[in-house]
Amino acid sequence: MSMSDPRELSLPRQIWRDRWIYVFLLPTILLVGAFTIYPVLASVWFSLLDWNGFSRAGDFVGLDNYAELMRDPLFWNSFRNTMVFMVLAVPLRVGIALLLALVLNQAFPLVRVFRTAIFLPVVTTAAIVGVVMRYVLDPTGGPLNIVLLNSGLVSQPVNFLGQAGLALYSAVGIWVWKWLGVTLIYWLAALQTIPVDALEAAELDGANAWQRFTTITLPLLTPFTIIITLITVIEATNVFDLMLTLTGGGPFYATEVIDIFVYRQAFLSSVPRLGYSSAAAIFFGVCFIALALVQLAVVTRVRNGRSGK
Amino acid sequence: MNSLQSIAKTTISRRSLLRGAVALGAASALPLPAFAQAGDTIKWWDIFQPLIPLHEKMWAEYSASHPGKVEYTGMNPSDMMQALQLANRSNQMPDVFNVPNGTPDVVSSLQAAGWFAPLADSFVFDKPFQKEVLAEGFTSFGGKLYSFPIFSFRQTDTSLWYFKDGFAATGADAAKGPATWEEARAAAKAATKDGKYGIILPLQFVDRMKQHLIDLAQAAGGSGEIDWKTGEYAYASQPFVDALNFLLGFQQDGSLHPASSSLDARQGRARWAAGESLMFFDGPWNSGVLNGNFAAVIDGIDVVRVPYPAAAEGNSYTRRSPKAGTFFISAQSQNVALASDVLQQLTTEPYYIGLAERMDQPPLDLAAVEKANVHATYRKVLSSYPEYVRLSPDPLIRNPAVAQVYAEMKPVTPGLGEIIQGAFSGAFSDPKPVLQQFADQMTAERNRAIEKVAATGAKVSVDDWKFDAWTPGEDFTSDKY
Repeated sequence: MSMSDPRELSLPRQIWRDRWIYVFLLPTILLVGAFTIYPVLASVWFSLLDWNGFSRAGDFVGLDNYAELMRDPLFWNSFRNTMVFMVLAVPLRVGIALLLALVLNQAFPLVRVFRTAIFLPVVTTAAIVGVVMRYVLDPTGGPLNIVLLNSGLVSQPVNFLGQAGLALYSAVGIWVWKWLGVTLIYWLAALQTIPVDALEAAELDGANAWQRFTTITLPLLTPFTIIITLITVIEATNVFDLMLTLTGGGPFYATEVIDIFVYRQAFLSSVPRLGYSSAAAIFFGVCFIALALVQLAVVTRVRNGRSGK
Repeated sequence: MNSLQSIAKTTISRRSLLRGAVALGAASALPLPAFAQAGDTIKWWDIFQPLIPLHEKMWAEYSASHPGKVEYTGMNPSDMMQALQLANRSNQMPDVFNVPNGTPDVVSSLQAAGWFAPLADSFVFDKPFQKEVLAEGFTSFGGKLYSFPIFSFRQTDTSLWYFKDGFAATGADAAKGPATWEEARAAAKAATKDGKYGIILPLQFVDRMKQHLIDLAQAAGGSGEIDWKTGEYAYASQPFVDALNFLLGFQQDGSLHPASSSLDARQGRARWAAGESLMFFDGPWNSGVLNGNFAAVIDGIDVVRVPYPAAAEGNSYTRRSPKAGTFFISAQSQNVALASDVLQQLTTEPYYIGLAERMDQPPLDLAAVEKANVHATYRKVLSSYPEYVRLSPDPLIRNPAVAQVYAEMKPVTPGLGEIIQGAFSGAFSDPKPVLQQFADQMTAERNRAIEKVAATGAKVSVDDWKFDAWTPGEDFTSDKY
């Protein structure tokens, strides 16, 4: 079948020619439109309303919700918590998983058992992890505090989730532990791409393990590092289920990340504020897109550098 | 036509059987009302899990003698408002529902949004005390009756429940119980040993902690959230500061159960009932929950009224606003007459006795408790209410336009409950400035709302919150407005 030059066909004719492609795309377009595009557009509209959700429609207030958001210290508190969570959790998860992957990439007894053990929390529901961890970290009778007290490391039980200055860090630790297995799998897959002959050649040339890691393994892992970090950053901003069941955003907003702030405004207030919560979600979404664009620029620059452009 | 042909005509063919099956399948996928007999069934949503047996019995008796029945859905309190919002927007509201946390501001907002239908004209009250609790903005709007309370306003969330043996072991007077703040704190301190603590507070349940603080501030001589003499918010007044310091004292003494920060009321109650602490603040429903879930310990439990500072003895009251209506009929209901008739069953003496026997919130008719089979702790806690629980004034009753102010006011955060949580978690060391900031923010928000409502022509002002005739130890009855 001869293919005519697309530039010779009008748009309707091109669509008619490729009609089966569009037919097969239709279900995806409809689903993405209904469950992603429409809610996002609806949220943008809602963010311009003063709406308690009790009435069928809100009052149009323009950008008032955004202006109020800029003055709301609790919004900036949740923004800061989200950023602190991300800045702490992402390097920890990516770094620890890389170290574990380097160890578990070796052949030694029970290596599969260790890999499975680290991956197990991943398949557990985040909400369940949140509930269970409240008992694990309980200051009275929680196994972690019992170990700490019996070992003499502390003289008084540690209130991991009840102290405002400690709760966010406890949540970071739990989140890193829960999702470590996924990043470990990414790294193990990436390590399979390191050519063994290059490592062997370096070894023959007298390079020690550290030199082989820094001069061969690490540079070759750079593109994977970028992708794994990008994925982990996105995941670190979606911690609603874990945080809601673990602390509910408390104590005194110490663990209130953006997701919880939006949820609280929309559903937990005695009189809900759907417009205000939508504005918070949209504003944070825009900030996150800006962050992603910065990441994209960095990736492009690294790629161009690698290809010598 | 012979008989064989006749049989063939009436026999269901395979094709018609398939058609029928498809039609039945399609019908079963349709919402229930499509097949409910018109006017026969009402949908009922509420969060009153302890009342389910009582209500089911009542509905069964009603259905046996009337052409109507109830389709009940029990809801989780934390999910109820979300479910109602979604149901309202999709025209699937239940005929009868309750509003969780049905404070006047929420009820006013819902009424303004057109959620409620008035009770049918056939609805009547035959007892004087039932008519006394009806009030504009709480049960009536625009002079029409929309709802009524089934519970008495004479109750508190902050009675102090304790183990009798454990309290006696501290050397205190077991018969008197921890009546004052000083006695409660001393008993808690003495009971803290061997992995057990003096008290558990449900710090994660901010709404309950807020109510505890208000009750304790009133016990210390405060008027409540509003100073009725001036109309100003009283969150930063000395009784509130003293009450918060009283609660923080348990933490300073080391007698507060360390897990309190991550416990809600149910979890806190379960751990207290398991013997992990000596005392626990709770409402009258604690008798019902203990009787149902912790029957082995209930006979070892005693209860005293809201504790007060020794210096406030004789001037210690709990004040409660009139109760808003408990159940409302949806404006989307097609069965207002039937719903009203079923709700009428909630105004009878057998219902009040049944309500008392569930040992939940006290029934509107407190005299029914005497005729009911209830545990001694329930009888004791309810019998103390007339001594110290008083009806407070309410600006909504004086001026129905206040409802518009409530509907206009936006929530101020951090609220009182969150401030308590912050004080316990070490987020700030001195709670007084934080309480003052909250009072100032509430004042500013109320002023903004008043200004906006007044601009529409409504006659409303801060003076609506001032009640010169208010006397601390007396009920603010309707003749005082």
